[in-house]
Amino acid sequence: MMSPRVQLLLILAAGAIFLVVFRELGPSGYQLGLLMRTMILMIVAIGLNILIGQAGLVSLGQAAIYGLGAYVAAWLAVRHNVSFLPAIAAAILASACCGAILAYPTVRVRGAYFAVITIAFGLVFENILIEWLSVTGGSQGLIGIPRGNVFGVVLTRPIYFWVVAACLFFAFVVQYNIMHSRYGRAMRATAQSESAARALGINLAGMRTLAFVISAALAGLAGGLYAFLNLYVNYETFSFFHSVSFLLMVVLGGLGTLLGPLLGASILTYIAEALQNLREWQIFAFSVLLAAVMFVMPRGIVGSLSDLYHHTTSRARRREAEPWPNHQISVEPATLMAEHETDAALVTEGLTVRFGGLTAVDNVRLSVYAGTVHALIGPNGAGKSSLLNLISGFYQPTSGDVLFFGERVGGRQSHELARRGMARTFQNTELFGQMTVLDNVLVGFHTHYASTLTETLLRLPRFRREEFAFRERAQQLLCLVGLSDYADDEARHLPFGHQRRLEIARALALRPRLLLLDEPAAGLTHGEIEDLKRLIRLLADNEVTVILVEHHVEMVMAVSDHITVLDYGKVIAAGTVADVRDNPKVIEAYFGRGNLSLKRPDRLLPEPVEIGGAK
Amino acid sequence: MILISSPTGLRATVVAANALLAIALAGTPAWAQKAEPCIAGSWELTGPIAHMGLAVRMGVETAVDEINEAGGVLGRKLRVIAYDDQGEPSRAVDNARRIGEQDNCIAMIGGFRTPNALAIRPVVSEIGLPWMGVMSAGTRVIEWEQGTNEWMFRTSMKDRWVAPFLLKKALERSSNKKIGLMFEATGWGQGAVPDIEAAAKGLEVKLVGKETFNLKDQDLSAQLIRLRDGGADTVVYYGVDPEGQAMLRSMERIGYKPTIVSAWGLSAKLGEAAGTLADGVFVAGTFAWTGQLDARAEGIWKRMKTKFSLENPGQVSMPSGTANAYDAVYIIAEALKIAGSFDRAKMRDAFYKVKYNGITGTFDPAFELAAERHDSILPSQYKLLAYYKGLLMPVEQTPYVTK
Amino acid sequence: MGEIVQYLLNGLTLGGIYALLALGLYIMWEASKAANFTHGDIYMLGAIVAVVLTERGLPLFVSVTASVAIAAVVGALIERFFVRPFNTEPHSIGWMLTTIAVGMMIESAATQTYGSLGRQLPSILAEKPIRLGGAGVYAQELLLPIAAVATMFGLQVFYRRTRLGRAMRAVAADRMAAGLMGIDSNLVALIAFALAAGIGALTGILIAPVLPALPTMGALTGLKAFGVAIVAGISSARGVVIVGLAYGVMEKFIEGYLSTGARDALGFSLVILALLAFPQGIFGRGEVKKV
Repeated sequence: MMSPRVQLLLILAAGAIFLVVFRELGPSGYQLGLLMRTMILMIVAIGLNILIGQAGLVSLGQAAIYGLGAYVAAWLAVRHNVSFLPAIAAAILASACCGAILAYPTVRVRGAYFAVITIAFGLVFENILIEWLSVTGGSQGLIGIPRGNVFGVVLTRPIYFWVVAACLFFAFVVQYNIMHSRYGRAMRATAQSESAARALGINLAGMRTLAFVISAALAGLAGGLYAFLNLYVNYETFSFFHSVSFLLMVVLGGLGTLLGPLLGASILTYIAEALQNLREWQIFAFSVLLAAVMFVMPRGIVGSLSDLYHHTTSRARRREAEPWPNHQISVEPATLMAEHETDAALVTEGLTVRFGGLTAVDNVRLSVYAGTVHALIGPNGAGKSSLLNLISGFYQPTSGDVLFFGERVGGRQSHELARRGMARTFQNTELFGQMTVLDNVLVGFHTHYASTLTETLLRLPRFRREEFAFRERAQQLLCLVGLSDYADDEARHLPFGHQRRLEIARALALRPRLLLLDEPAAGLTHGEIEDLKRLIRLLADNEVTVILVEHHVEMVMAVSDHITVLDYGKVIAAGTVADVRDNPKVIEAYFGRGNLSLKRPDRLLPEPVEIGGAK
Repeated sequence: MILISSPTGLRATVVAANALLAIALAGTPAWAQKAEPCIAGSWELTGPIAHMGLAVRMGVETAVDEINEAGGVLGRKLRVIAYDDQGEPSRAVDNARRIGEQDNCIAMIGGFRTPNALAIRPVVSEIGLPWMGVMSAGTRVIEWEQGTNEWMFRTSMKDRWVAPFLLKKALERSSNKKIGLMFEATGWGQGAVPDIEAAAKGLEVKLVGKETFNLKDQDLSAQLIRLRDGGADTVVYYGVDPEGQAMLRSMERIGYKPTIVSAWGLSAKLGEAAGTLADGVFVAGTFAWTGQLDARAEGIWKRMKTKFSLENPGQVSMPSGTANAYDAVYIIAEALKIAGSFDRAKMRDAFYKVKYNGITGTFDPAFELAAERHDSILPSQYKLLAYYKGLLMPVEQTPYVTK
Repeated sequence: MGEIVQYLLNGLTLGGIYALLALGLYIMWEASKAANFTHGDIYMLGAIVAVVLTERGLPLFVSVTASVAIAAVVGALIERFFVRPFNTEPHSIGWMLTTIAVGMMIESAATQTYGSLGRQLPSILAEKPIRLGGAGVYAQELLLPIAAVATMFGLQVFYRRTRLGRAMRAVAADRMAAGLMGIDSNLVALIAFALAAGIGALTGILIAPVLPALPTMGALTGLKAFGVAIVAGISSARGVVIVGLAYGVMEKFIEGYLSTGARDALGFSLVILALLAFPQGIFGRGEVKKV
């Protein structure tokens, strides 16, 4: 397998050769125009691919954003004699702003609900184009756009061809640079697991807005180019049907793939031309074809082909997990972000959360000392996970506060806490299933990058340096948990136990000062639990404070410095292992009548002991 | 990447490559010199207004058949190439390029929709492709607000001329001289509003209401209630069949029965679909295939009947458009004879000299240099048609001839 | 005054259409957590199949029954072949595209075979309008809001009282758990799509005597019904009916007092605002994700 960078260069070179040969063949003006229009559609499709394929946001209003660019450019050129470059710049800007506004609903609205917002936006836009006669020219549209002119050079169609081609190359490189950077990884992360992304310090709203702005800016660029190609704009080019066909292009080509949007856009354009011979039945044939492709290649052409490729090649090599933790790998010191240093890593003050009538966490006071392992135990429904979610910002407390190394952080968003050095794992592992194992870990470094978006897009030295360093470190972390062999596999294919390891490695990438482990032993084999115990001790020895929620009592007793026992959302006991072990309240909470003791450390507590609270 | 659409596309590329390589380097387009003896169109062949495209095609193919049977033009047979634009402007633009630059046809014949004709204005001017409109009636298709129209001609109606015609007919039939306007929110409907306002000013009529509707609207009660409450007893309608049918139905429901005088968006199909509900609705036009025909028209009708397996003249969905298309082909043929070669520029110049007796009227000359005379059919040739017993007839052959 | 009554009546008719179609979307969503973008076309199909069969001389009752049956079969086929295979993962959007593609097929096939102009279904309820002062309404039109409310209550009874209905509710609540209880959730989804399609076709048939049945009648109506369903919160039958009727009335009042042009722009803007205010829909249940 070639490295992505080589692939990119090969594609760019092939594209350039193709275009030169195409021009040398002396195509008719019609073919030239068709190819130009296809390239413009490719730019829109690339933008949409970033939005859907990376950030997982389905927009059915992309044609409207494309249309906004086209109309802004056309309006400026026709009504205000603005020349080509400023008109295009304004088109990009207007569309990007519009994208930022459209991103706002994603903060609250998801899935099909969000799709409806984009549909509604597209239809509103279309209606405004028709009705706002004085600006948009109504249904007749804007006629008489002057040909573009750059520094005295008139952009005749043969010259314009290269302008469009250059913009396409630019868009393609942007797409590559986004996909292969922390931004692309963070976008994919938000799409695949919101919770995990937040826990790794990714600002969901910010990342979605970024995806929207980039995709809208590209659509705006394409719209401006279209206006100066066609020299006429009319609302019918930007209708809902066209939004659907953009979606088709991206899905047909292969969501999230580099070449998919190019392939999808050219197939849709050229097939539509070829189907003209079918006259009355062309739309029918078109939709049949579409459904057929979806059947044969549900992941799109590029996606399905590369799946096939991976499927045939991945069998060749057997992977082996290595024992973990690998003691040769050092655990990096925690990040130091807060100024207030105290020996209490975490203090909760009267922390309470109510869901409706149920008080899941009731006035909990907790002190966790830096560099210790602190376990939270209690029967099912005792409020352990709720407490963990409160501490890590996933739930907002009804009352009470949290002090994180002396800083008051109660009510802060989880991604803000992550940036302060609080990492966590999840009870039901939350990996980014369709990303590689290595990429999963790399997402953990997201907040540690200093290079800006511009540096990333331009591939400036600092970006390269950081990317190289973090890749190295990510490999080390995989080595630490013994998963080096799996680096290039998709995370969802990992066996369950390995998924747990990966989740821990990913959390460590954050360089946490406090690590919250939510039932890390659940589902692990006996041997794996032994490894996990060693890892937890290793972390504590390296000054990472660990809060452990666990049912596996033997493990808790073995690794914890302190234990807090919860029942019905209240703390019923706290102290060292020895303090808690013999506490009659604890025994009662677990076993009701107290005829069993926790003294036998090799005993595993029966899992689902239903005591009151709802799970 | 798939960039060549079909084997034909590939072949065409290679052919074009051979033909153009030398000249392309010199920068002069090949098509400026010699064109192919083909007449091509970008028409609405699929979608909800496919019957309009078909109406054009019927006229064009019938005329071309006649001409070819009589030996063709300048010793060559004419060909017809029909492209589908589904009524969409961007497709019309693509088709215009295909016709002008790839097929290298001598002339292009336009379809039904005005936005499509507007969209190709820059394209045909740039290629130097003579374009002949046979339906799209928008004023700005021919009379440009900027630049000079050198290549676009029309054998059809023009809204700027249709508007006073319609208003006059409406006034003749109105008892309280209160006239309302209903127009579709499309390039054609919206574009006609200034023409109607200007005509109303000229005739000193006050429009009691100007109401618009979108394509596919099925209930127009709200607009009609406003017109009714404004006291309009006559309504001028700018729209097409489906909404026309919806309007009639909505009128029946709210118990409003004004006289309707419509621009020619309404076709014979409406009579078929709405039945007697449409009776008494007037439509402007240039020709009707129903009723009594003269010998020549009878012959054309017989030919169309066989060629397109029609049963009765009511099936010619857009009678005027078909007739215009028929005459347009003859004007092109006449111009070619004057030009003496398949040269677009020469043919275009010959348009100003063509004298021809057509079925929609007499053209003498067909066109003049003045922008407004790139329209060959003059207002004096406009006719009023009316639905009667479900058929669209010349008004003289119906009981609705002026009361 | 006459016009207010007129707008209200027309609005209720239109709203009845939205409500009935949105109820269909609700049924499908509950069973498979996927919406069906062909629903507007099914509504159209119901109307034109009934018209065509009646024109061929079949008695009205027979052609209506046949039309509903055909639609139900089409609905089931859509579920089996165009939704189920593309709805295997929680975030998949394949079904969106395949159903859009099928919708395009239905519409273009209908345009080519049926023609592009509307034809009406005969009905004694739509021959002469009932006059109410300045307003007029066909008795047929009043059937739509009535049918919407009746369908809603009917569904309630169906979901509560019948075995199949309870199975459907179980699948809606938790597909996996329903599976463990021996309910074939695939079969439930299939039946749900057939049921929804039948209701959709019936909606088209009910309106066909008033608004001529034509191939383009479905697309935008279906889209609006989808919007209505989502704004209402697609998991509430009562909600979709209320919002559907309200949306129809609102459209007619916008048309009446502002302009036709403003109708969709304003209507869809309100959809966006409503969703921003109620991210789960006005009557929707909040879903708290557990981590």
